[in-house]
Amino acid sequence: MANSYDLIIIGGGPAGLSAAIYGGRAKLKTLVINKGTIGGLVDTTREIVNYPGYIQVSGPDLMKDFKEHAEHFNVEFLKEEVISVDFSQEDKIIKTKKGKELSAKAVILACGSEPRILNIPGEKTLRGSGVAYCATCDAEFFEGEDVVVVGSGDQAVEEGMYITKFARKVTVIVLHDEGVLDCNKVSAERAFNNEKMEFIWNSTIEAVLGEENVEGVKIKNLKTGGSSVLTCQGVFFFVGMIPSTHFLKDSGLETDKRGYIPVNEGMETNLEGIYAVGDNRVKYLRQVVSAAGDGATAAVAAERYIEELNYFNSNIVQSDKKILLLFFNVLVNESIEFSTLLEGLISENGDEYKIFKVDMATKKNLAGKYQIEKVPAVVVLDKGEEIKRLDCSMDKEQLKSQLS
Amino acid sequence: MSLQQLNSTGFEEIIYDNCEPCLVIFSKKECHVCKEVVPMLEELKPQYDEKFGFYYVDVEEDKELFQRFSLKGVPQILFFNNGEYQGKVAGKVEEESVEEKIAEVLGV
Repeated sequence: MANSYDLIIIGGGPAGLSAAIYGGRAKLKTLVINKGTIGGLVDTTREIVNYPGYIQVSGPDLMKDFKEHAEHFNVEFLKEEVISVDFSQEDKIIKTKKGKELSAKAVILACGSEPRILNIPGEKTLRGSGVAYCATCDAEFFEGEDVVVVGSGDQAVEEGMYITKFARKVTVIVLHDEGVLDCNKVSAERAFNNEKMEFIWNSTIEAVLGEENVEGVKIKNLKTGGSSVLTCQGVFFFVGMIPSTHFLKDSGLETDKRGYIPVNEGMETNLEGIYAVGDNRVKYLRQVVSAAGDGATAAVAAERYIEELNYFNSNIVQSDKKILLLFFNVLVNESIEFSTLLEGLISENGDEYKIFKVDMATKKNLAGKYQIEKVPAVVVLDKGEEIKRLDCSMDKEQLKSQLS
Repeated sequence: MSLQQLNSTGFEEIIYDNCEPCLVIFSKKECHVCKEVVPMLEELKPQYDEKFGFYYVDVEEDKELFQRFSLKGVPQILFFNNGEYQGKVAGKVEEESVEEKIAEVLGV
């Protein structure tokens, strides 16, 4: 089937592209679905100075290299927006806005995040008329004018400094006490030394004022509770990000209160065969280098999952004989002894059963599927369906009686 | 289908001389939101073949045009009919809002 893949990655930022490189290299039939430009948030970053191997590179250039690398391993790309998913079956279904339906054995969610909207009066109605979210895009429209920046993180302060190249004055509205910024120290120092940058401390913004165009902002002082109006022609919002995971709402996927996806060490979500990487997962550091690491981990985990799935389907579901799924762990002596006993028994007695040994250390998904926690354990399957479990007795006769 | 780019002269002709019902997206190369909105318009264009014009202005190449409409950012889609400005939509707009606005301009 043309629309059926081993691995589908939703999102084409550094996490998604890294997963694609690993997926493609593992010879998985891999597709990246991306709704905007390749590179995600990195595509909006003018300068990256902390990605290993690149002393200084622009975001779009770095992402172009990532994409070319993925294409080199025959990864396919589809420019579409995913609107819904069905992760309840073994084949994961993904539907796009233009009505395309795709399926994959494993899915990696690398959807990233988007700017948080404050939803204050004037913010929406004056968008494009002075309200902005991207300095690279819009700073030059404020040549010689007064601009307000809301927020004090890396993005707010660095973009604010970029805007000073065009604007007459940039006023940063900061939640914290005087001198405290959320951004890195180098940027903070530069900002304090920038003659065009001014700061209003302990404050937040209540409304954007203006009819046709932005004429000012209403600022609230959090300490005194007092409000004041500051005249300006532009307002840039950099008040943090929210994960772009809203389309996953009814998928059964676990997220935290803010919409971020919790994962384990292998980037596995609560759903089998579904992984989350990069900015849309719960994590400590949101950088290109950590996103790339996430992508690699998830693709390897997905590859192992798919391999187990394929092996299971071709050797177990399609077997004529009944299958004894024998779970063992080399570290548990009892399970090794039991294996020997069971194997002896089956080789002596007829053709009805075939043993399929499952190493708990590597076949975690199978162990999870049958909720095996202790070894030895045996699940009896007929045409892939569980018919019973054995009591793993070391008494040969007792064991034999369970198999007759 | 790619959008026809307008410079100041082309803009005068299409909007004010031909009085064509149309939209013009004001965009620039280094704008990631534009890179999402422009392809959406390109895909929408064939549906309105001959009925509604789709055009493109690069604000870096034609500064005079965005200054004339005192625009404060890209992307912005401006709508025209009978040589008159009919309003605009700004930022990351969805296909649906563009379709609605076109219907409104065409009076259907």
